[in-house]
Amino acid sequence: MSPTKIPGELSVSFRYTPGVGNTAFFEGLRDRAVFLGSRCEDCGVTSVPARIFCERCLAELEPSLECGPEGELVSWTLVRVDVDDQPLERPVTYGLVRLDGADTVLLHRLLHTGGEPAIGERVRAVFTSPREGSMLDVEGFAPVADGAGP
Amino acid sequence: MEAMALRVGVAGIGWSGFSRTTEGTSYKELMFEAARSAYADAGVDPRSDIDSFVCCSEDIEEGTSIFDEYVPDQLGAVQRPVQTVASDGLFGVATAVMLIRSGVASAVAVESHSKASDVVSLGRVDRFAMDPVLNRPLGVSPTALAGLEMRRWLHVTGRSESECADVAARNRAHAATNRRASYADVHDPTPLFDPLTREQTAEPADGCVVLVLTTEERTPEGSVFIDGVGWSQDAPSVESRDWDRAAAAERAARAAYDRAGVEPGDVELAEVDDTFAYKQLQHLEALGLSDLAEDRVNPSGGALGEGHLREANGLARALACIEGLRSGDARVGLAQSWRGVPSTSAAVAVMRR
Repeated sequence: MSPTKIPGELSVSFRYTPGVGNTAFFEGLRDRAVFLGSRCEDCGVTSVPARIFCERCLAELEPSLECGPEGELVSWTLVRVDVDDQPLERPVTYGLVRLDGADTVLLHRLLHTGGEPAIGERVRAVFTSPREGSMLDVEGFAPVADGAGP
Repeated sequence: MEAMALRVGVAGIGWSGFSRTTEGTSYKELMFEAARSAYADAGVDPRSDIDSFVCCSEDIEEGTSIFDEYVPDQLGAVQRPVQTVASDGLFGVATAVMLIRSGVASAVAVESHSKASDVVSLGRVDRFAMDPVLNRPLGVSPTALAGLEMRRWLHVTGRSESECADVAARNRAHAATNRRASYADVHDPTPLFDPLTREQTAEPADGCVVLVLTTEERTPEGSVFIDGVGWSQDAPSVESRDWDRAAAAERAARAAYDRAGVEPGDVELAEVDDTFAYKQLQHLEALGLSDLAEDRVNPSGGALGEGHLREANGLARALACIEGLRSGDARVGLAQSWRGVPSTSAAVAVMRR
């Protein structure tokens, strides 16, 4: 060890509470393979995942509105490096998807991207099985043209 | 312009580092070196002439919890009023302006630094900023958000990838004459997060900037004045933020312009965030400065040329702007910062000489 470099490491663990809104969202994914959102009637905005407050007017909301499972691709990127800036053996495509009925987007993987994705393209969620109640209950989004179904 | 009740001047500037690594020098020593330069420039004794000290840092980047405990000694701030703003350095400038204009202090030192070379897992620090419930489980680097935003921005505005490449080339050409620039020679079009490439991404650097801000009475004649500051955030969540524009920078700029009594057309020099090349173009739009001549935008080379200084990015832009105004290169200048992925925090300072 060089006297000019003293090693250190942060080794701490967390158990994050998703909260009422996200928990309802995750239960919707797990139990029914649906995306649960919340609508603020005053703002005319539907947020997915569900939340118990509107970030625009701070009204109380209910996690009560189902959105998707199809939606529109808002943007996409091909990820070629990992978090340590090392090249990925197989690049992964990620996208932002605005589910039908929602005003917000979800970040997730894009599947079956043999061809280049296109902004505005119709995509559909592909769910895993079994599901445990997390974002990983969704495998990703595939082009509707692929015929991917729930 | 209507005279302000209390103007805040820049009495002193100092910096250290601004290199890819600062081997053998600790962050405390970087801070000491920059602070000593700033105090000498201002002609002040920090132990008696500075009323308050504002540092800008984030614990996890420093590798130390409660990092504000580690800043006083190297600034001459032991047993003095010190606070840490957990954000970019321009937010610290805003805090100092408030301290001075409210009468709490007549001289404030603002500090921010980067010792990025100490962080072995820098990308993991950034990933830890992702929402742990909704985004982090995907395991993706937060810089993917820049790839997503760049593609969306190109789509919405009709701008081209080659315009972004031109920004990177131009900033690095500007950097060739900047002694603080250590990335003037990067030409690497390797795609990282398509359409974002390596050469359009600012690389990490070490460095520290200290500014001494004072009341008008205590500011030497002919100094630069910070006449307007503004700061804002969009919705921070990936899900609900505005993906089509730099909304936070727009709001921060409007507040700073209004407070300074300045319109975008008055700005003659702009040092703006260019963490990614497309962000420079997007930020110029947000600031109302898209028509500003190319040689008046980031003549320092920006972060693409100087390197990415983490929370010190905003102070690096402010430092370059202040130097430009001091040199007589412009009368009205603007510095703008963005806190980087995955944030939507932006701050703006409008300056006059």
